[in-house]
Amino acid sequence: MSRAAALPAIDKNRPSPEWVHALRARYPIEGPVDTLLTRKMNLRSGPGYSPIALDTLVAGVGALVHHELGHKHFTLSDARWLSGGASKLQMAFTLDWERPGVGRERTPMVLRMEPAESIVATSRLREFQLIRAFDGVVPVPPVYWCDDLGDHLPYPALIYGFAEGVTKPSNAVSGVSGAGTKLPPELRRVLAPQFIDHLAKIHGRDVGTANLSAFEVPAAGTHCAEWGVNWWDRVWEEDGDEAIPLMGVISAWLRRNLPQLDAPVVVHADYRVGNFLFTEHDSRISAWLDWELGRIGDRHQDLAWTTNRAFADVDTDGKTPLVCGLMPESQFYEAYEQASGVRINPKTLHWYKVYNSYSLAVLLIGTGYRISRLGKTHQDVLVAWLTGIGGLLLDEVCGLLDQGA
Amino acid sequence: MQLRAELQIATAIKALKDVIIPAIDPINKLAVEQSQLVVGMLALMAQQGPMQFRFDCDELARLIEAARQFDEVPAAGADGLQAAIGQLKASRGQAAEVLARCTVDPAQLTEQVRGLRQAMSDTVAAATASGQAAAQLQVERIVVAMSREQLLRDRSLMKPQGWEPEPEKLPDIATLLAPLPKA
Repeated sequence: MSRAAALPAIDKNRPSPEWVHALRARYPIEGPVDTLLTRKMNLRSGPGYSPIALDTLVAGVGALVHHELGHKHFTLSDARWLSGGASKLQMAFTLDWERPGVGRERTPMVLRMEPAESIVATSRLREFQLIRAFDGVVPVPPVYWCDDLGDHLPYPALIYGFAEGVTKPSNAVSGVSGAGTKLPPELRRVLAPQFIDHLAKIHGRDVGTANLSAFEVPAAGTHCAEWGVNWWDRVWEEDGDEAIPLMGVISAWLRRNLPQLDAPVVVHADYRVGNFLFTEHDSRISAWLDWELGRIGDRHQDLAWTTNRAFADVDTDGKTPLVCGLMPESQFYEAYEQASGVRINPKTLHWYKVYNSYSLAVLLIGTGYRISRLGKTHQDVLVAWLTGIGGLLLDEVCGLLDQGA
Repeated sequence: MQLRAELQIATAIKALKDVIIPAIDPINKLAVEQSQLVVGMLALMAQQGPMQFRFDCDELARLIEAARQFDEVPAAGADGLQAAIGQLKASRGQAAEVLARCTVDPAQLTEQVRGLRQAMSDTVAAATASGQAAAQLQVERIVVAMSREQLLRDRSLMKPQGWEPEPEKLPDIATLLAPLPKA
């Protein structure tokens, strides 16, 4: 029987355990990611997202803090919703507490919690560990506690410190999630060197000493790339609605051309404008955010992601594309090599450009459709809106495939 | 193309109900009332959309039938009435021609688009699994060429969203769509 004939039997909104099991067997991936995707599918047929009152979240945070501190000598106040990001709910609040090693303090904090289903299924524990691992290496917000399984809050969540800064100039124009952000030339000149330096530092962090117990390190060879393709092939099968023949072509191309991993590094996996904060008075990057897709893998994944056309802007001359609105692509690569001391392999970079566009297309077209149609998030209208970028991404891949391997 | 009216309306209603309406100041009665009406209007669109074509065909068929009965109206000596009935007959003929061509519900069209996409995807998978490099390459070439043309239209359709770095270089969707086939 062909897959086409078999398809009607698969109800992706109510996946059977047998189908989930078959997908797991067909697409071997990093263990913790497999756990996440399996959990997602096991919860798929459950209820959609219903609005949660701030009071409920405050009570949940209180329970988590109590559990972590072992006492109730603290108070929560100033709870309010934050916008930003397409995947997780965020609530700002102030914790009045006896901070270990500091004393009594009113600390501004942020709760970052999953909705019923997110545009990307990721682990709060992995995000927590990554942010903690980079404290003191690059600017990150302090992380305090993690409710990895949603024991205290309605859904898995983590609590981090409120970082000062903005994602774009107060008077800037940009699309949702930071896409198309316009940065004035004088700001670019100050931000660009920091942007490069921080990426080099992330990739320079020794993965062996970073306490990343929720991660697996890929073996030498093509293991890392294979895990990656399996990950997104699986998500496409799990979430995709309308078949797109080009997706099969891209996947086959990726499998034919798997690159060798020369040195495993921490990959941020969403390193771009819109995901860092900077303080406007001195133009310093104050925090790198959104580590949720991070993994131990190939540095070229970040380099290719950052240079994706979706995050680019055009220079004031109206024609020169700027990486994340900061600098021309060739200048970006040159500066990275200088800061990191490692070379960029153009073939591997090219492969990861295809890979990244493929993963983004899977997320935006496949998962975006599925979860917004099922009402699984706190902002389905935004998630649905983002599906509209799929054409641009896939068109970019066609251009990359034309260039060969 | 997944961003269709069905999804657009459903997510817009949810945003209104879950986020926007609860945030409206209850003292602003006009805003409260009109926001509820917007939800109602969108829900009506969601319900009507899928059957709009059949609804219009159904109405046209009954109009044609009723117009046919006007032929029996005694109009001798009433020039104005005779002329109007004559004009009605001509209009009825045009309408009947159009109705005769309305044999496929738009839902069937999108069903066929989805079916063909799936069958083509299955063929890509089969070519990949076959290990026949020449066949695989040819299949991929066909798919990429077809996709490029389609993606141009997808991007153009979504141009108002503002994703395109150089929107002025992208032709408008109306200029890219082929005219409907003549009957």
